[in-house]
Amino acid sequence: MSASVLPPSGAALNTVELLRRVVRTFPAGLTTPERLRRVAAVLVVGCVVTAVVSVLAGAARANAVRDSGTRIAALSADAAELYQSLADADATATRGYVSGGLEPTAVRAHYDEDIARAADRVVHAANGLPGGDPAAAQVSTIASQLQTYTGLMETARAYNREGRPLGQAYLSNASRLMSTSILPAVEQLRQGQKAALATAYQRGGTVPFAVLLLGIAVLGGVIDHAVLEQRRTNKILNTGLLAAGLALVAALLWWVVAVIVAGNHLDAARRHSDVAIALDDSRTAVLLARSNESLVLVARSGGESSDQSFTTQMHRVAGWGGDDGLLADAVHSVPASAPEIQSIRTALEKWWAAHRHVRELDDGGQYLQAVASVTGTDPTSSNAAFEHLDAVVHKAIVAERGTFTVEDSRAGSALTGLTVGPAVLTSLAAAAVIIGIGRRVGEYR
Amino acid sequence: MSVVNIARPVRYLCVAAVLAVASLWVAGAGTATPSGAAVTGGAPAPGTTPGATSGCTQTKESLRPMGALPAPGAMPRGSTMAAIAGRGRLIAGVDQGKYLVGYRNPMTGDLQGSDIDIVRQIAAAIFGDPNRVQFVVLDVADRAGAIERGQVDVVVNTFTVTCDRQQHVDFSTAYLAAAQRVLVPINSKVTEIEGLTGAQVCTSVGSTTEQVLRALPIGLHVVSLPGIPDCMVEFQRGRVAAVSSDDVILAGLAAQDPQTKVIGRPLAHALYAVGMKHDATDFVRFVNAVLERARSDGSLAHSDQRWLGVLDPVPQPAPARYRD
Repeated sequence: MSASVLPPSGAALNTVELLRRVVRTFPAGLTTPERLRRVAAVLVVGCVVTAVVSVLAGAARANAVRDSGTRIAALSADAAELYQSLADADATATRGYVSGGLEPTAVRAHYDEDIARAADRVVHAANGLPGGDPAAAQVSTIASQLQTYTGLMETARAYNREGRPLGQAYLSNASRLMSTSILPAVEQLRQGQKAALATAYQRGGTVPFAVLLLGIAVLGGVIDHAVLEQRRTNKILNTGLLAAGLALVAALLWWVVAVIVAGNHLDAARRHSDVAIALDDSRTAVLLARSNESLVLVARSGGESSDQSFTTQMHRVAGWGGDDGLLADAVHSVPASAPEIQSIRTALEKWWAAHRHVRELDDGGQYLQAVASVTGTDPTSSNAAFEHLDAVVHKAIVAERGTFTVEDSRAGSALTGLTVGPAVLTSLAAAAVIIGIGRRVGEYR
Repeated sequence: MSVVNIARPVRYLCVAAVLAVASLWVAGAGTATPSGAAVTGGAPAPGTTPGATSGCTQTKESLRPMGALPAPGAMPRGSTMAAIAGRGRLIAGVDQGKYLVGYRNPMTGDLQGSDIDIVRQIAAAIFGDPNRVQFVVLDVADRAGAIERGQVDVVVNTFTVTCDRQQHVDFSTAYLAAAQRVLVPINSKVTEIEGLTGAQVCTSVGSTTEQVLRALPIGLHVVSLPGIPDCMVEFQRGRVAAVSSDDVILAGLAAQDPQTKVIGRPLAHALYAVGMKHDATDFVRFVNAVLERARSDGSLAHSDQRWLGVLDPVPQPAPARYRD
């Protein structure tokens, strides 16, 4: 009953057998000019296939690099800024509340700016997404929940103005929405773009095996045939075949050089992008730590356990004493960034010290002094130390993003012409093969 | 050697083609597109049911004060009060969201309310200064735990005396009597809790009111959140039909939202007292002496009138009972 069905391995074997028979009978019983024509046909087909694969591979690489430099990098930056704006908005609103009395105008303005920037980033991110991208769901979650968040915050403000404590319930409800729902969605968007960027770099920087193998095979075929013909006819080397060989060598060299140069720039871009991402993560972590600092004061829950989240975030950035932490990662990626990272470290230590003082005040029963340090503008206050830290980190992020863009566009220019150039050379090689072998065939008339 | 070899270039190309396809396939498998599945954070976990009752029903009365209060700043050597005085401040577990009872005034940032007045009386008796207090805001479910951990000296936070809690903490005499009732929208036709059968009713996790609601055999969907203000947010957003708590707490909610009303018969009666560490009998007797003085000099009644005057009738200070 199974006799009519061949097992797959049998079918594969049959295909191989068939190909072998074609190859064996292909040259059988022909005159020399006919055989030469067939060789020319094989080499020309090889050249054309190589040219086509070269066009496809070149276009894929150029697209990947263009995508990484513009769309994905922009989305990634959008997501990072979105996260920071939202976390900052929440911390600002909390701080405005903890200060007591009417929310200071400057604090209110700061919150409004954060929300406006966040909304702007959401729209920008939505525009940058191609249709059907899975990140679209995250962007839509963020957009709709941001509405709910600002609504809850405005209710909180209305109650605060009336002197009703219900405002605080709305405030903490909004904060919970932010930290358990909105920020995780933004973080996912960010991680998704981070992964997409890594993929794009991989695509842009891999060795083009397909093109190189085909090119070398055709070149080998041309050389092999030229050498055999020279031996067979005892004539000088066929100039057409020589030209074809040179054109193929040039095409291969173009590929190798372009890939090496672009690879170097891509590597530099990737390392600067890694630094920017580590700094983004650092800025996010310190914002969360600051939010926690304010929330502990608002909740008046005091003590070690509620301050734990602050300590965890700070260690994430500064490391646990060894050569770890986000700042150390940044220096590993780009050693030249060490001085700029050191200035961040110094600012971080200063804020940490100010924060420890806040905790001592609060745990020592001096609640109002603790609040004053977190909301005040005094140079020794926790607030001032944080503002300085945030400014330093932000400056470093902008600088790293700038370097990244430069390196990325250099990689892009190294790939300029890669789509067309080698393909044209390979086509010229095909033409040279036709002319060269055509002359030989002509000699048989 | 005299024949043009066609097979050789064909072989070259075939081998290269196979390898090229293989390399493309390998590269393709290595660069699978990342998928960003959307998984948003869930809502905060719903509250758990309070611990099963141990079957004890009879609450103990508190301990009688021993003689007159010591003068502020002169606590008996070795007493619990002397330890607090040595620290320089009283640590009190309170709430900051219960309007009129214990809340943070958003205008000043200060805590105030009828419970806070009692904390300040205790601080004044120890230090001669009502402001020597460190307030720690506690979740309703964490009140007894905070005392057991030694995180706070006293809990003054609508803390109802129950037999179960007396296994872990000691209570002063009751300073206020309250009754559990229900808050609904002002246009609601519901007049008793039975009208809410099948509806969502919210209260705080780990409170005695939660136990009362869950024990009612009328098919309520009890939602429990960390605090009553959280219930109020859900109520105003239309996610729960009613909030149930003690009348003094509901009065605070109704005062903040005129579109609500308090309905129904008392579902349970509660006596609020100051919670303290188990077996710190000297401190219990001391706090009872402070409360005794507040009852007799009228300051307790005055505080209740000031904060809870919106209630009709205004709750009266509960009379002191002692087991001696």
